[in-house]
Amino acid sequence: MNASVNETTGTPAAEQVRTTMLEFLEERTRQPVEADTDLFASGLVSSMFAMELLVHLERSFGVAVAGPDLKLDNFRTVEAMTELVLRLRGGADD
Amino acid sequence: MTDELEEPLALVTDVVGDRAGEWDRGGRLPEEEVRWLGAKGLLCAQIPPEFGGRGFSSEENGRLTAHTGRLCSSLRSLMTSQGMAAWTVERFGSGAQQGRYLSQLTSGSLTGVAFSEPAAGSDLSAISTRISAEGDTVLIEGQKVWVTGAAYADLLVVFGRYGEGAAAAVVPTDAAGVAVRPIPDPLGCRAAGHADVSFDGVRIPADSLLGGAGLPIEWLVTSALTYGRLSVAWGCVGILQACLSAAAGHAAVREQSGRRLVDHQLVARHLAELLVAEQAAVRCCEHASRCWDRGIPMATSAVLTKHFAATNAARGAASAVQVLGSAGARDGETVARAYRDAKVMEIIEGSSEISQLLLSEHAVSVWS
Repeated sequence: MNASVNETTGTPAAEQVRTTMLEFLEERTRQPVEADTDLFASGLVSSMFAMELLVHLERSFGVAVAGPDLKLDNFRTVEAMTELVLRLRGGADD
Repeated sequence: MTDELEEPLALVTDVVGDRAGEWDRGGRLPEEEVRWLGAKGLLCAQIPPEFGGRGFSSEENGRLTAHTGRLCSSLRSLMTSQGMAAWTVERFGSGAQQGRYLSQLTSGSLTGVAFSEPAAGSDLSAISTRISAEGDTVLIEGQKVWVTGAAYADLLVVFGRYGEGAAAAVVPTDAAGVAVRPIPDPLGCRAAGHADVSFDGVRIPADSLLGGAGLPIEWLVTSALTYGRLSVAWGCVGILQACLSAAAGHAAVREQSGRRLVDHQLVARHLAELLVAEQAAVRCCEHASRCWDRGIPMATSAVLTKHFAATNAARGAASAVQVLGSAGARDGETVARAYRDAKVMEIIEGSSEISQLLLSEHAVSVWS
């Protein structure tokens, strides 16, 4: 267990989100992706792919990303997306 | 056909009747009747029932779009625009914005989506229209060109620069500083109300700005364009069906050299290729729509589908004119209209060349 893993992002729910998004990204980009890889700076996520990533995230975890949450930084890394999903779910651990 | 689609298809058939050629020559749709279809929820039929919409799946809406496109591409073109605007509001709008705008779009208000500018067509990253937040208002400054439906529209979804990124705002066409100038005599979809629109110091309430403000322009437009591409593709299916019906109908009765046209092998080949184009375009559209309905990523699939359907509609319409010969070679004839309308489909919502660039990138990422 890594010391930097906090209470929220270290839960099984967080791990599930992280794994799902990493698998999706690796399948689509055919590149190794880490939870902290900057998806935009690395060029892994094109503009065509960006909205698909959003739709996949919403569908997979039953959340709706709207308003102020629709910002680049929430999608920059898998870690950021994981935090976003957990926050939108209200921290529910399921 | 499902029962749910029977009534909407019949309503469109009734409204269009045999008047599409007349509307095309006059460059104008009967606005009251178009608004009536809008109030029936048929111009953006995927909108959920809670906002007065039909709640159609993408596939159901596709069937309606193809049916409309078979009768009149100008009307279908308005349907595409209204659907793109509605989807953009559904995708990026807050609950309050969805309630406000979507209920208007299903009760007779007409809308268009303003992307292109004098110096930004295929390359939307070059847009210069500026949207800025100033206190409790939003200021819009810039010029848009070739906005489908703008000549009829009450509202426009306008994309512009916003801070370091981009944003979309919903602008009433009667706001001070908005000027709509219809484009005379377009090549195709002549009655679709294409217009250039300028925004000169237009000030609207801050809550006209949709969510996602500040995202890169490509993020914001990809949703609308994906919807638009799929809608155009279904519309091209309609064009192919109209051509197939006209060409097969003609070839089965018209005689030359003592034989029906269809018994001349070179003519028969045109019919065969038209049938292949129509069937293949339907299958592509069905696939993309089913992906949309299941939430399976399909942005690239929409590009492929639009490119395939538009290219084949243009080629198919040219063949149909060839089969009808002089019988089809004048304005107002179904195939002559299809020929001009289909050509425009190779240009809008991502030209064939832009589609090919996107698809080649995809080919390299998947197959290299």
